[in-house]
Amino acid sequence: MSRLARRCERLSRNLATVASDPLPSTSSPRPPRPSSKPILYSSVILNRAPILTPSPTTFERAFYAYQQRIRRALHNPFPSEFYFKQGSLLEARFNSEERFREKVAWGPTYAKEEDLSPEAKAAEQAAMDQMALQEKSDDKLMPRVHPSDEARDYHSLDRKGRRNIYLIIQRAAEDGQLVWEFPQGQPVEDELLHQAAQRELYAHCGKNMDTWIVARKPIGMYKPSIPTTTSTPTPEAITFFFKGHIMAGQVNPEKFVKDFAWVTKQEIETRVRRAYWEGVKDMLSDH
Amino acid sequence: MASSLLAWCRSRPLSLTPAHVRQYAKPADANAGDTRLILIRRALYPGNIRNRASPTGTWRPDVRQTIQRAIPSVQAHHTIERAWLLHRRLVRKRREAELARKFECMKRAMDELKKIDSKLYMEANKVEDPRARSKVEMETMKQLPALEARAFDARIRGLFPREMRIPAETPSKNGWNYEWKPIERPL
Repeated sequence: MSRLARRCERLSRNLATVASDPLPSTSSPRPPRPSSKPILYSSVILNRAPILTPSPTTFERAFYAYQQRIRRALHNPFPSEFYFKQGSLLEARFNSEERFREKVAWGPTYAKEEDLSPEAKAAEQAAMDQMALQEKSDDKLMPRVHPSDEARDYHSLDRKGRRNIYLIIQRAAEDGQLVWEFPQGQPVEDELLHQAAQRELYAHCGKNMDTWIVARKPIGMYKPSIPTTTSTPTPEAITFFFKGHIMAGQVNPEKFVKDFAWVTKQEIETRVRRAYWEGVKDMLSDH
Repeated sequence: MASSLLAWCRSRPLSLTPAHVRQYAKPADANAGDTRLILIRRALYPGNIRNRASPTGTWRPDVRQTIQRAIPSVQAHHTIERAWLLHRRLVRKRREAELARKFECMKRAMDELKKIDSKLYMEANKVEDPRARSKVEMETMKQLPALEARAFDARIRGLFPREMRIPAETPSKNGWNYEWKPIERPL
């Protein structure tokens, strides 16, 4: 019994040391504690997730091409009689495309020349032209770069399809300066923080957006440092940030919102105040 | 005359019709069957009589020269492999570092909230039941017509919304939907 108790104690002690181990990032000299309760703000980091898959880098493309050549050298014979009806146009098109791909992979002089008579070649070309005519459709794929990227239209939600973009708004601060930040506001009586965040988003940006606040928990907080020289103890203002996603719609800014922008993390850094940026940067996605 | 008689005997299917009945329709070829089924069977069940190197086919005849053309050298191949693994490791470490930073932010925020207001902290930690409907929601659903009620009910608290799309190779033809009409939902 005593051995069991000792083991439990050792276990709880180990757990206690793990919990109380301070991480280097959080250890900082404690600022002078204000006397009154801090003022809370709720803010929303509204994210438009990437619409496009990331583009492969040059190294990735080269590696995939290398691996594809190795597969082409080693693969089992393709069961073309299973996939294509013998003598069909589709099979003729596939064979000619495959011959082209082999030339591309190994060089034009590598394979021994197919003894295709000029009539057979002409017949094959005619078959391919006929197939192209039959299959012609107006469905063209859209380009990955949107016109709003070139135009630097920061209101557009089609810009930067591969990246995560966030909503920041410009409002007039107390000292009259225009300042960029995430939409924020104070929760009212008996309101929870995530509900306040949603309400403030509607108040700043209108209801014409299909948004989803992900969770009840905040993803981060910003505490501006209080200048210690003031005689009267000012209450702290702590902003809690909530992650939101936008799926459709657009911002319809209110009068007090001077401007809004859908920007990437790097573009936020150039617009927002330095102290605010330092507090907010770790919550945002790099890509 | 004997040869034509022989040809006539061979053309008739065996054991089907008696000799005194004339045959006008061409007899169906018993070997044809449904070619698609035969092909599928051949693809799914390769023969198990071991008369070839491999039942499903083997390398191309010039595989030795071709693989030498594909791979520059053994050392080059190993170097490329290691470079790829290193690249994947760097990408993974970057992703993990970003996640760790985000988690650290969240942890700090929750610790601060706990210090400030324990009631808000407890509320933030509450796990949402996806099956639950609040009283306000039930009241609003009673007033709405059937289709609107279904749209209203579709957004479930605590679960990912259906409208979140995964990234694609190319954007949609119509682009972003700017003309979205809101559905009134309680906070």
